[in-house]
Amino acid sequence: MLNARAFPVSRRPFLSTRLPRVFTRSPLALGALAVVTLWVAVAMAAPWLAPYGPLAQDIGDRLMPPTSAHWLGTDPLGRDILSRIVHGARLSIPVGIAAVGLAVLLGTLVGSIAGAAGGIADEVIMRVTDLMLAFPTVILAMIISAALGAGIRNAVIAIMVAWWPSYARFARGLVLAAREREYVEAARAAGASSVRVFLRHILVNIVSPIVILSMLDVGHAILTFASLSFLGLGPPPQIPEWGSMIAAGRDYLDQAWWIGTFPGLAILTLVLGLNVVGDSLRDALDPKLRKG
Amino acid sequence: MNLLGYVGRRVLLLPVMLVGITVLSFVLSHAVPSDPVAANLGERAAANPEAVAVFRHRWGLDRPLPQQYVIYAWNLLHGDMGASISTHQPVLTDLRQHLPATIELAVAAMLLSLAVGIPLGIVSAAKRDGLVDQAARTGSLVGVSMPVFWLGLMALVIFYARLGWAPSAGQLNPRLPTPPFVTGFVIIDALLAGQGGLVPDALAHLALPALVLSSYSIGVITRVMRGSMLEVLGEDYVRTARAKGLSRRIVTLRHAARNALLPVITVIGLGFGGLLSGAVVTETVFAWPGLGSYAFQSATSLDFPAIMGVGIVVASVYLLVNLLVDIAYAVVDPRLRMS
Repeated sequence: MLNARAFPVSRRPFLSTRLPRVFTRSPLALGALAVVTLWVAVAMAAPWLAPYGPLAQDIGDRLMPPTSAHWLGTDPLGRDILSRIVHGARLSIPVGIAAVGLAVLLGTLVGSIAGAAGGIADEVIMRVTDLMLAFPTVILAMIISAALGAGIRNAVIAIMVAWWPSYARFARGLVLAAREREYVEAARAAGASSVRVFLRHILVNIVSPIVILSMLDVGHAILTFASLSFLGLGPPPQIPEWGSMIAAGRDYLDQAWWIGTFPGLAILTLVLGLNVVGDSLRDALDPKLRKG
Repeated sequence: MNLLGYVGRRVLLLPVMLVGITVLSFVLSHAVPSDPVAANLGERAAANPEAVAVFRHRWGLDRPLPQQYVIYAWNLLHGDMGASISTHQPVLTDLRQHLPATIELAVAAMLLSLAVGIPLGIVSAAKRDGLVDQAARTGSLVGVSMPVFWLGLMALVIFYARLGWAPSAGQLNPRLPTPPFVTGFVIIDALLAGQGGLVPDALAHLALPALVLSSYSIGVITRVMRGSMLEVLGEDYVRTARAKGLSRRIVTLRHAARNALLPVITVIGLGFGGLLSGAVVTETVFAWPGLGSYAFQSATSLDFPAIMGVGIVVASVYLLVNLLVDIAYAVVDPRLRMS
């Protein structure tokens, strides 16, 4: 998970000089970035790329193995697996980003308030995050789904509720570190109010590390969303979603392996790509792990 | 602060945390104004005003929320978590039946991850950027990126359906006699009942799900061990040991690895939560009769009392494991309890 210590403030601009270097130096990172870019492009161009509609059924072509007409075969309703996978990217990628984004928003808000306020408020907020973190994500999602019902929106809410505490702790750590810096002291000495110091000097300086590092969790969020869908806590089965496609292929694994196998490979390649990119960035950010 | 004081403080804090967990799961599941009467009683009983009144009174649903919580907590203290709609049994009985299987699976996966991850992390760090290191890093990245339910299904197809190496899903061969329920742990129960012959079959059924479940934690433990080793290998005392003329192997294993193990202890505690989450998914794939299968069944049938019970139990297990881990950490690292 995120660790405030792992984000030292550097004098060299991160986005313009250090970020591109991560990719020019490592072929693995560059390859991973290409995979991720490809998936994003696929998601955006899905309606033009997919050879069939994601919901189009052809009962005559049920359970077809991969052929030239259906590159990745068809499912029990004669729907084209490739088309459903391509359209699935349109769901998984935005959902992953939305879930992390919402969790980061809530976590940063609560965590930075805790760090800035200190005292009792800080203590209470941190104990609540302790408790929240005791609930495994999937169990928490199940409690929430049992209350709200299954669905895309509720799965996103579930991931948000489960994840905000770790971002809150991260944001709090950054606020505590930022509070000690000279420019904050200078602003305070110049007579700025504590609200102004918090908004203008602390918050703006912790936002970019949080945004950059949290985006690296999108892969994990996509994986979690697919798990929830697999368990039936995601969108209804006709919607092309990778996790529920695998669930649908469960009963046919022996006679029609392609139904469940290819959506799994889609998840694996996208999430692996995101994780490799994320890992390379993390290594670049953490001087302790950097060589030489 | 001495060790006893540290442990005492942590143990005293535990009941407070447990109360917090019940409050939290109560709030989470009551955050939405849904009608538990309709969900819990079923259509026929909900149409009967008398049954509704009894139900409402029993759970205090006619009272304000804080009071409802007090009633829930009071019932909980008396071992009453309500009855599950899907099984028609007290939730506590259900949990008692399902928890051991999950613990068995999670512990097996954790042991497997440690047995693979620690040596792999040591070798990776000692021969940095070598062949093992590259393979381990790639492997652990794949491990944390893998959808565990998909891996489970693939493993079942390949090792059970195609190759016939692994037994079918489930905890025991259905044709074998199930040992009487004493502890709930099949292997222990089999031994207690003198049915030692069941143990190989139980272990064979455990192997594949535990392996699948550990795919994530092996990666995590390898990475933590590797990172920690790299840090320790740069320390002065390691250089001193080398300068003294000790062999690289002895310095790596005796001086570095022992100290590098410390962060891994913390990860065991935190990783246990991930294992419990993964267990839910893995259990449904392997028809493993644990809490995960039960939670899945409860969540899909909107079985409120059951899913709250699962939440409370799982979170409590997590807290307990982390308490034990923290105590273990304080025992082996005196710096921690001094601060």
